[in-house]
Amino acid sequence: MKILTPFKSVPENYGQPGATSSGGRRVINPFDQIAIEEALRLRERGVASEIVAVTVGPDSADEEIRAAYAMGCDRAIRIDDERSLDPHAVARLLLAVVRAEAPELVLMGKQAVDDDASQVGPMLAGLLGWPQATFVSRLEPADDRRSATCTRETDGGLEVITVQLPAVVTTDLRLNEPRYVSLPGLIKARRKPIELKTLAELASNAQPLTAILRVAAPPKRSGGVSVESVAELVHKLKHEAKVI
Amino acid sequence: MDFTWSDEQRELFTAIERFAAAELNEGIIERDEHGEFSRDGWYKCGEFGIHGLPVEEQYGGSDLDALATVGALERLGYACKDNGLIFSINAHMWTVMMPVAAFGSEDQKQRYLPGLASGKLIGGNGTSEPDTGSDAYNMRTTAEKKGDRYLLNGSKIFVTNGPVADVLVVYANSDPAKGPHGISGFIVDAPTPGMTVTRKIDKMGVRTSPMAEIYFDNCEVPETNRLGKEGAGQALFTHSMVWERGCILASAVGSMQRLLETCVRYAKQRKAFGQPIGKFQQVATKLVDMKLRVETARRMLYYHAWLIAQGRSAVMEAAMNKLYISESWVRCCEDAIQIHGGYGYMTEYEIERELRDAIGSRLYSGTNEIQRNLIAAMLGV
Amino acid sequence: MSDAEFPILVVIENDQQHAKPASLRAISAARQLGDSYSLLCLGRGIETVVAGVSDLGAARIYVADHEALADPLADRYAKVVVDVAAQDGSRTILAAGSTFSRDLLPRVAALIDAPMLSDVTHIESTPDQTIYQRPVNAGSEVATVTLESPRRVLTIRAGAFELPQRTDERSPRQSVAVSRDALPNGMQFVSREQRQSQRPELSEARVVVAGGRPIKDREAFEQLVGRLADTLGGAVGATRALVDAGVVPNDWQIGQTGKVLSPELYIGIGISGAVQHLAGIMDARVIVAINKDPTAPIMKMASYALTGDLFELVPQLIQALQRGDEPGR
Repeated sequence: MKILTPFKSVPENYGQPGATSSGGRRVINPFDQIAIEEALRLRERGVASEIVAVTVGPDSADEEIRAAYAMGCDRAIRIDDERSLDPHAVARLLLAVVRAEAPELVLMGKQAVDDDASQVGPMLAGLLGWPQATFVSRLEPADDRRSATCTRETDGGLEVITVQLPAVVTTDLRLNEPRYVSLPGLIKARRKPIELKTLAELASNAQPLTAILRVAAPPKRSGGVSVESVAELVHKLKHEAKVI
Repeated sequence: MDFTWSDEQRELFTAIERFAAAELNEGIIERDEHGEFSRDGWYKCGEFGIHGLPVEEQYGGSDLDALATVGALERLGYACKDNGLIFSINAHMWTVMMPVAAFGSEDQKQRYLPGLASGKLIGGNGTSEPDTGSDAYNMRTTAEKKGDRYLLNGSKIFVTNGPVADVLVVYANSDPAKGPHGISGFIVDAPTPGMTVTRKIDKMGVRTSPMAEIYFDNCEVPETNRLGKEGAGQALFTHSMVWERGCILASAVGSMQRLLETCVRYAKQRKAFGQPIGKFQQVATKLVDMKLRVETARRMLYYHAWLIAQGRSAVMEAAMNKLYISESWVRCCEDAIQIHGGYGYMTEYEIERELRDAIGSRLYSGTNEIQRNLIAAMLGV
Repeated sequence: MSDAEFPILVVIENDQQHAKPASLRAISAARQLGDSYSLLCLGRGIETVVAGVSDLGAARIYVADHEALADPLADRYAKVVVDVAAQDGSRTILAAGSTFSRDLLPRVAALIDAPMLSDVTHIESTPDQTIYQRPVNAGSEVATVTLESPRRVLTIRAGAFELPQRTDERSPRQSVAVSRDALPNGMQFVSREQRQSQRPELSEARVVVAGGRPIKDREAFEQLVGRLADTLGGAVGATRALVDAGVVPNDWQIGQTGKVLSPELYIGIGISGAVQHLAGIMDARVIVAINKDPTAPIMKMASYALTGDLFELVPQLIQALQRGDEPGR
């Protein structure tokens, strides 16, 4: 089984205001790391034979490509694109790669922690017309490798579905704990080729349709009032905040 | 001398920092209290590639030169607060792994280096004895040749990793008539009949690094496990000391950097008499002194490593490193406690532990008194 | 023609009996966006669902009630949504943010070649364009964006919109023809956890009590977090750490990758306030934090911060509330 693991390069300090715009250290999106880890475990079990990582970005993303190699991917592709993209464009770029690579499974994170859009996976599945399983916390390919049983984490609890392969699966937190890149792995990764694809090569005219006018910190909550005792807390909740 | 790290080196150090910060800093206070070694932490570090940093790739290492190795260990010391674990790893690297790499036969390297480089084999070293410490070459442990074996008899004390070791490098005298020139080195599998861990040693600091006293009673070691030639013990020891003394405190430089940053943060946020304490000269001066120590220690660390990487002699630099960095580390820890006041004295804040850990560095790899003797001798007085 | 002049289709999430209240808040967003909107309900045996949304001012209620839609499988549901949207002439497809809509709507967006915005918190419609706001970067920032497309798919953050006012008129309903053979067949539903609870649902509760790492097992959780929630008539939630540790189920997780809430009152017990968790509670009106570390991030932004041992303070708090003559309502 060939598995394609699309990933996004995100700021290491996501969650801090300004992280998205500053030029700080970057990592493979944690949810995508979980997807790569799952692909590696499937290869270790003999289910997967080849793992191809792919990302879209400028050459600074090569560092995350090396991290993907260091984790253990067999091949890695970077779609060379310096534009600020949206899920609409990314899904269409990945579509071109999926068509060229013909994997049995596309395995990726459920959302990117810097924009929290949570769209590319199911969007790609729609473009492909493939079954999808999102927010997966357990993935069991069938013995005949023609389908997979997936446990999904939903608002109502756990749900189990089966999907025919090829399919797009997006990963949730508890699917696994990703391994660390080993140092020897990182060193060997330097010697591996990065397959560079241009938009022209992909014959893709994918365009982002979202324009970001500005990104700013939200209005700050006032807070930080200390109360000294349970009695004081109850009093304030009743009479000051009037919430109980 | 350009000490700018390459992109590749920076990527490695960043990976180490992320790994250490996420994996190695839980539960240290408790383990320190109970003197408990983290096997889990050890094997994680081994699998990650820490132990094998300077070992050739064909034996499973990363083949980093001395300078990159100390840079990596410095970053480990910065991100990992378990000085005991780091001490155990260092002891393993410099007293067991590197001597095997430098002096081992091909057969010995094949048998031991991959395991040592991956941390799957835990190494310990037996040199000091109850009655010989600084005067190591007066050791009394003997290695009597009997056919194709040696029989080890004697006691070794302060064996770091002794209670958990899979392999020991032990120095013993195979020809007492020659005095110090009869000392040979041996690779001893643990356990071997005749070898007993007589007691675990409870220490003031680096308590998460296990230590033992080991007693040898006609312990048989095959000839094929003698490290180097008979009587090469001194040369072996001297060579490994150049690496050990120069590099064992690389992580201390990282620890000092972390302490400095912790103290600066605290000095900015903690208020007394209406202002941040960093505004008071007595606190600011301490921070400045800490900064100076970190910077000078770092430069001495890199310079020694650079010399070795060039294949140049670095005996004096090794002794100066060991002496200066250990003293600097202790003083930084003292200052850090003072700056944090009462909180610096509490186990919960993990600052007092740094001082207890640092004090040991004045003693191991040759006491600072010995280092001064060596440097004085090299100055020709 | 501006966006406002094309019909809007709101996809309503339901549990076969009732529309999910959070889902209805998308109607308020639809009202902001334009004049005319229709609702789409999918499922099997959803009569009461449809009845329950008939007085919300929709131009039409599309009812796709069919055996094959008994469970929300994205490939089947997306096909129905797209067919209804084509029928309706709608250029905007809208739903409240949830795992249901995050699974379904991006697929719909792909099928109609539209861009999508997730978790919109604010909409400003002018004759020239529509400007949206949505949280990014674990909620630490707000992005202001526009879309360049005649069609769009949106999910809205439920807590940022009101429940829609009911009207006197009943919306006409229209059955959607569904044929098993015309639906994709690559996904099968197997099973779902069924957990009954007396407590209100987490995403809609007025009061939420959440527990963090120091609470080591389910029994302790029920004793402390559960009992406090029950005293206040609230729902229970937790940090990721507790779900990872298997102490509580996944749907109790609050945060950037769990549920985002906007209760009147949130009480965090033994929670330090990692940014990923705070992302889930920033819209709470009153935040109370109980933690033994006064420097924990949550303590600085809480409306009220109580420092101390939760194992002592929470039982005290429960007692004080039970003694008081004002029951939690």
